[in-house]
Amino acid sequence: MSPLDSTIRDAATAQPTIGRPKDYLHEKSTLASWFFTIDHKRIALLYLASITGFFVIGAFAAGLIRLALVVPNGQIFSNDTYNKLFTIHGVVMVWFYMIPSIPTTLGNFLIPLMIGAKDLAFPKLNLTSWYIFMGGSLFTLFTVLVGGVDTGWTFYAPFSTTFSNTWVIPALIGVIIVGFSSILTGLNFVVTIHTMRAPGMTWFRMPIFVWTHYAVSLIFLLATPVITIALSLLVLERGFGIGVFDPALGGDPVLFEHLFWFYSHPAVYIMVLPGMGVISEIVPAFSQKKLFGYRFIAYASISLASLTFFVWGHHMFVNGQSEMASISFSVLSFAVAVPSAVKVYNWTATIYRGSLRLDTPMLYAMGYIGLFVIGGLTGLFLATLSIDEHVHDTYFVVAHFHYIMVGGTVLAFLGGLHFWWPKMTGRMYNEAWGRVGALLIFLGFNVTFFPQFLLGYLGMPRRYHQYPPEFQLLNILSSAGSTILAVGYFFPMIYLVWSLWFGKRASANPWEAKGLEWSTSSPPPTHNFLAEPVVDFEPYDYPIKARERV
Amino acid sequence: MSAVGVSPVGVELREQFNNTAQQRHAATMGMFIWLITELLLFAGLFLVALILRITHPASVTAAAKHFKFWIGATNTAILICSSLTMSGAIELSRLGWQRGMVRFMLATASLGSLFIVLKGYEYVVDWQEHMVPFFLDRSYALAGDSASELFVNLYFATTGLHGLHLITGVSILLVLTRQAAAPGYLQRHQNRIEIYGLYWHFIDLIWIIVFPILYVLNR
Repeated sequence: MSPLDSTIRDAATAQPTIGRPKDYLHEKSTLASWFFTIDHKRIALLYLASITGFFVIGAFAAGLIRLALVVPNGQIFSNDTYNKLFTIHGVVMVWFYMIPSIPTTLGNFLIPLMIGAKDLAFPKLNLTSWYIFMGGSLFTLFTVLVGGVDTGWTFYAPFSTTFSNTWVIPALIGVIIVGFSSILTGLNFVVTIHTMRAPGMTWFRMPIFVWTHYAVSLIFLLATPVITIALSLLVLERGFGIGVFDPALGGDPVLFEHLFWFYSHPAVYIMVLPGMGVISEIVPAFSQKKLFGYRFIAYASISLASLTFFVWGHHMFVNGQSEMASISFSVLSFAVAVPSAVKVYNWTATIYRGSLRLDTPMLYAMGYIGLFVIGGLTGLFLATLSIDEHVHDTYFVVAHFHYIMVGGTVLAFLGGLHFWWPKMTGRMYNEAWGRVGALLIFLGFNVTFFPQFLLGYLGMPRRYHQYPPEFQLLNILSSAGSTILAVGYFFPMIYLVWSLWFGKRASANPWEAKGLEWSTSSPPPTHNFLAEPVVDFEPYDYPIKARERV
Repeated sequence: MSAVGVSPVGVELREQFNNTAQQRHAATMGMFIWLITELLLFAGLFLVALILRITHPASVTAAAKHFKFWIGATNTAILICSSLTMSGAIELSRLGWQRGMVRFMLATASLGSLFIVLKGYEYVVDWQEHMVPFFLDRSYALAGDSASELFVNLYFATTGLHGLHLITGVSILLVLTRQAAAPGYLQRHQNRIEIYGLYWHFIDLIWIIVFPILYVLNR
């Protein structure tokens, strides 16, 4: 272990237990104090409980999909049931788990702590956005479970407007409502980061986690209104036949795809960027080394958030857009690889010659880096026009985006949850169980999704539940992997909850990590710091520095 | 207190902020960001309208000639005047002239209501002239020209969404006026008047974009 900097920067940790104010978890304990709280830390926990529930539902639907695909003749579920299942999986996972996951839980909890603020700028708005989220998501959940929707999470016209006989309008309304919750969260973050930083917390002293959340908030703000209006037009189209997406009236169904992907491609970065922020915190802490290329990672976050608005057409290479448009979108999509690679190289350079500890958060972070590289490189395959013509709408695409979303977002979310668990709850989880869980998830994930690259390359289309018998072996392999993955997910759900009552008490800074959030007690008091912190140190001020030469 | 009827002006500090300058900055910035998202919401509709003009110029012109230009133009003037009265209310709130401010706010609400009444009248005329293609039971004046139908429907979607914002705006304004008339209000929440003013100007601005895109171009 390297020599550690033991300077105490906040009075909270130095104070004796007696006379210290109660922490945010114990200050009040009535039900009302939770459901009407305006404390960002409690709201983060409300979100954590909600999105975990949605994750379980989405994962259950995924399990049923994999069950159906064990046999090639599609006898386990009817066609309609299968369509509804993958719609439940997609809608719940994308709209109600992935998009809100890291920003609303870890982001909500950590942004004020990391910049040294007492709370977000608009605490009541923060609570409102949770209620909006719950209202919209439970309504949609009711719709997709009771009525069923078979459009997939993308709601493409004209199927969604004209041909589908399921509850499309209520599902759309629910998704539109949830969009407002995203907008309000993004607004709160941007204003907080601009106006609430503690004295000395300059822009380039902010942790990368805050930078990535700033980037994500910009996407929330600039992209979500466009999907709101696109889905509203879809509702009007289905309800009143206004015709914007109806070729019979001179409208254009491809226009819906343009509007949809103008939001939904950036939405991918809503899912990925916060994960990058989490990894940028975990890697230096478990290498005890200063983050390599801090400014480059900060700039790369903003450039990803900007580039992402100009690549939506790569979802539509085979949907009748002009060749010129396709080539332009292809080139721009390649450009996205540059800031992504900047990040990966910087994390790797941080690990290089660091003082490594392979605890659970670091295992997740290492898993993230590997899977993100595979997901990113296969993304380049798909950005290549000629290859995309071949593998478009096959399992290759499914595998690619699961490597980014599960291998990326879910691993980062779990890694971050373990990393900040002591801060959030004041308890340590069981390290051995944590490591086993992380390894099982990594193994299960790869066994589930790697065969799908092969299936897609061989030509198995997505969203079909019957397939030629020669694909059965790979499908069985994938389904078997999904059971390992499911067992892996059970681990943290059990030992994390267990630790709430029986875990060892955590110190203020159990990982010897740097950053303002570690300078206050675990769990923090209601207004985070006993006295307003003054920042007089650089970010990632770890003992080991990169050698000072080029 | 310097003069009769002049109340002190200020902002009550909320616990998450360190000082009122920070609080004012945050509140103003929050409203500006909200308005940017609103602009993007409308931008989707503007985009569709402009695409229709390019893909179906003749049909769009035929439909646009049916819209009531003079009602639209009058409404534009009304909203610009209402922005003027709202600016007056903001100026007076800064000076602490509470009674005058309340009168200017009521004037703003009246002008906004006048807009809604005129817009409603325009919808009634559209109905009488059979320009409501989304009512499938009612025959359509330009039957046979399906692309024009599309443009008229979009006109209803866009002006409807704008009207919804205006109705919300007037309702909030009336509630705010009632609160702002209470003694001591300006001492505690003066900046709410300014922030609301931003929203009002924004509704005005959106109409200034809607009017040329729907009524004027290709006419």
